[in-house]
Amino acid sequence: MAGSCHGSPGEVGPTGLPKVVLVGAPNVGKSVLFNLLTGAYVTVSNYPGTTVEVSRGRGRAGECEFEVIDTPGMYSLLGISEEEQVSRRLLWQERPDLVVHVMEARAMDRSLSLTLQLLEAGLTVILVVNILDEARRLGLEVDLEKLSRRLGIPVVGTAAVRGQGVDLLKKAIVERLTGRPAERVAV
Amino acid sequence: MSLQITYEAPLEEAVARICELLQGRYPFSKRAVALLLLQGDAEMQAEVAATEESKSYELVQEIVRQTQAGYQRPLNFVIAQWRQQATADLAADVVGQQAQSPGRSLADWLGWLTMWPVTGIPILAVVLYFGLYQFVGVFGAGTVVDFLEATLFAGYINPWVNSTVQIHVPWMVLQSLIAGDYGIITLGVRYAVAIILPIVGSFFLVFSVIEDSGYLPRLAMLVDWLFKRIGLNGRAVIPMALGFGCDTMATLVSRTLETRREKLIATLLLALAIPCSAQLGVILALLSGRPTAMALWAGFLLLVFLLVGYLTSRLLPGSRPSFYLELPPLRLPQWRNVLAKTLIRMQWYFIEVFPLFVLASVLLWAGQITGAFGVIISWLTPVVEWIGLPGETARVFLFGFFRRDYGAAGLYDMAGTLTGQQLVVAAATLTLFVPCIAQFSMMLKERGWKATLAIVVFIFPFAFVAGYVLNLALTWLGVAA
Repeated sequence: MAGSCHGSPGEVGPTGLPKVVLVGAPNVGKSVLFNLLTGAYVTVSNYPGTTVEVSRGRGRAGECEFEVIDTPGMYSLLGISEEEQVSRRLLWQERPDLVVHVMEARAMDRSLSLTLQLLEAGLTVILVVNILDEARRLGLEVDLEKLSRRLGIPVVGTAAVRGQGVDLLKKAIVERLTGRPAERVAV
Repeated sequence: MSLQITYEAPLEEAVARICELLQGRYPFSKRAVALLLLQGDAEMQAEVAATEESKSYELVQEIVRQTQAGYQRPLNFVIAQWRQQATADLAADVVGQQAQSPGRSLADWLGWLTMWPVTGIPILAVVLYFGLYQFVGVFGAGTVVDFLEATLFAGYINPWVNSTVQIHVPWMVLQSLIAGDYGIITLGVRYAVAIILPIVGSFFLVFSVIEDSGYLPRLAMLVDWLFKRIGLNGRAVIPMALGFGCDTMATLVSRTLETRREKLIATLLLALAIPCSAQLGVILALLSGRPTAMALWAGFLLLVFLLVGYLTSRLLPGSRPSFYLELPPLRLPQWRNVLAKTLIRMQWYFIEVFPLFVLASVLLWAGQITGAFGVIISWLTPVVEWIGLPGETARVFLFGFFRRDYGAAGLYDMAGTLTGQQLVVAAATLTLFVPCIAQFSMMLKERGWKATLAIVVFIFPFAFVAGYVLNLALTWLGVAA
């Protein structure tokens, strides 16, 4: 049943489905994940700022259906550029059930600040550390479990372009939406 | 419980006092709202002012003022720095450098070479030559268009449509709607399918490969200094480069630029001096046998681009933008993504273009029947003759009014009758001349009617005056194109 995964009392949109919003800095792979989660296609490129408008699609994982929203890149809740303001406004107005913060493994020192701000705002957050494959090639190892412990939220590692880790992300989304205690997942 | 950071005492104190004053319900926690207020977020101020009683909002403002007074630097800087510290500690704790960094990889080197002017400019020239000229111009607009146009349409489809219509449709008027010079199929569909689609398709293919490789942000670094002089910065490379594909799409993307001023300049330059791929392909094909003509056309447009940009940036008030762009690594494009993106863009373009082509055919047909067409052409004829073109080219400019590419395709049709100099002048004027209907409506949507109207009122006479000057200069200099 579609509604059965709706665990939190967020605002229900016109689709009646729980809302999952993808946020993060530009060019970290939000649109790739959007495509993988929804089976739709939005334009993906290798430069920051490809997504200038909000895209919506329908995602499914197990018996759980949800609305997925892709947003233009943002570095901080304090929006400076127009795209950042679009994304902030969306978080403010849509009252998402779940925010998936996507970041690039190599830029974690700059990106985690947004995670902290999302948590500060009282949003329910899953962190996705993407492009792990390139980071590994550069000799970077990210301790996802430790990060998950310290932040107190689920952390999923992915290499979205290769489709790696997407199942784990889906699992984490379902767990968060159904309100069952989230398992700490890592690749 | 998820991690919450604690700021230094004066900030925490201010946050606590603001939280106490906030009575409304907000989508974000009160703590986050308080912090955004301390950072001077205008939208949050409006939100809170609308929700709270004016007395408590005044008190909130007072707390923000007092807290700021305790710091030398702006609060948003202090808060960002505090967070940065917490973030860096966290990252250092969970990210480990396992192996030694393998030094500069081949991709790093290549990436650096594309940005160093000495090597970057030749690399740009190579990319333009093979990507644009050879692939889009010679292959797309030449080989593929020749096949579709000459073999398929001229050889089979048009004669068949013409004869079928003549046999089965008894009325002359209706005959000319479907077939003949301005028929929906013989003109509209032919232009859309046989001339425009292969050109646009080959451009989108090249563009997808380039954008997925990560070359564009590096190009942005390379030309940043040049763009600064025309009131833009390197960031504007992306909408400008996309403009060579479709100016309508590029006008939409210009919203990624930071200031209103930059957006306005970019919109103007896109409307004026950046030919879209359909136009570009047709013009490249037209001028491909004449290197001098091609160089004159390209040089003239570049000159107009820089000159108008420079003057606009002088005239429009506002500061020069600073530039910061994240550099993604150079990557080998994934062919599946490239193909998917090319197809999506072609589809977007075709859905956008096809009805307009048919509509334009119908309008031209109606214009022909009612004689309105003849009247407008008779107005335009002296104008095109003034810039040294034969009167018949008036028709091409009228086409161009419906769509950029439509006009260029019309020029393609009559290329045989023009001299080299006339081709250069016609191609240049047509490139400068009106943005197409789709771009016009996008400009309205993105920039508002005032700015759009100003741009169009500027472009109309400017295109013809520029064409006149170019024609005069070519005649004086005696350049044989």
